[in-house]
Amino acid sequence: MRMRLLMAAILLPLPGAVQAAEGERVQIRGEIIDTWCYYSGVMGGPDAVTGTAHHTCALWCSAGGIPVGLLGEDGQVYMVLRIEGDDGSAGGDMQLRLASHEITADGLLYHRDGLNYLVVEKVVTDHGITKLNHEDYGPVPPFAIPEPKE
Amino acid sequence: MNWRSLVLSAAICGLASGGLAHGAERHTDPTTPPLTDAVTPLPWKIGGAFELIDHTGAARSQVEPDGRMQLVFFGYANCPGICSAALPMMADAADILETRGIAVTPVMITIDPVLDTVGTMGPALAKISPDLVGLTGSPEALAEVHAAFQISFEKIMNDPQHGPIYAHGSHIYLLDATGRVLTLMPPVLPADHVADIVTKYAKI
Repeated sequence: MRMRLLMAAILLPLPGAVQAAEGERVQIRGEIIDTWCYYSGVMGGPDAVTGTAHHTCALWCSAGGIPVGLLGEDGQVYMVLRIEGDDGSAGGDMQLRLASHEITADGLLYHRDGLNYLVVEKVVTDHGITKLNHEDYGPVPPFAIPEPKE
Repeated sequence: MNWRSLVLSAAICGLASGGLAHGAERHTDPTTPPLTDAVTPLPWKIGGAFELIDHTGAARSQVEPDGRMQLVFFGYANCPGICSAALPMMADAADILETRGIAVTPVMITIDPVLDTVGTMGPALAKISPDLVGLTGSPEALAEVHAAFQISFEKIMNDPQHGPIYAHGSHIYLLDATGRVLTLMPPVLPADHVADIVTKYAKI
């Protein structure tokens, strides 16, 4: 559920430069996703690159520097700029811990160039990994889980 | 080695073995929103003046010497992670923009001046694209530019194959010819999407 708590957005004409400003206070519920695999489509369709099927790869990608996103219940992707004290968009301990988790996030939303950017100020609720699709898809991609060397 | 290092090791193995670049098979892309003029200024003041050295040894500031717009990414030339996806995408976007009559220089500013020197950066970047400009400098000069762009990074480990491995911020900044930051973009966008965003700013 997305709740608009406060319309604090300052909508200006196209800016000449990036400036500090207030965002729109929102609460958004959704899954922390691997944005590379979600947008590129190289690992499978949107349903296969979320949930438990894609959990291992999501860890890899986040650790490799790929920003995480929040796939909201409204189907929108919110690019996460920061989560609580972790001042990065990828690879931080918080980003790794929340990979594939469904969360309710409270934060500030920014719109730019047709994209949504979210600064998560607080993870209100960590619902855990709720999308259990590994039995449908197996690990996506299969090489996400290395074969043990003999 | 902690669990995070293990995960990153797996990441590097996966990315280096083609986790990012493989993908001859494509699937239905998720819906991406159309470009709109809806803009909220971002929450931080980003960017500023810098004095660095390019991969040919020439001094380079935030001002693009030929008056071109700039796509700026922070990373390192032989990074097997997100840089190996972002840098080719930036070069591809610049190629697309050139066909539209918009001149853009893709620029990588290093996060490690020991790893990326004038001698080593050029050949490594040329393998990705001859149009990429690499910037390095003194630790102090780089610290200033990292602070100005609020780039966070952390050395995670030394990989036997790739050397030092960093976790680092990966957004791409669009600068005008004077070095003013116009916007930022996530590195996961396709090149044509990035080109569309740049085109919008080029017309302002």
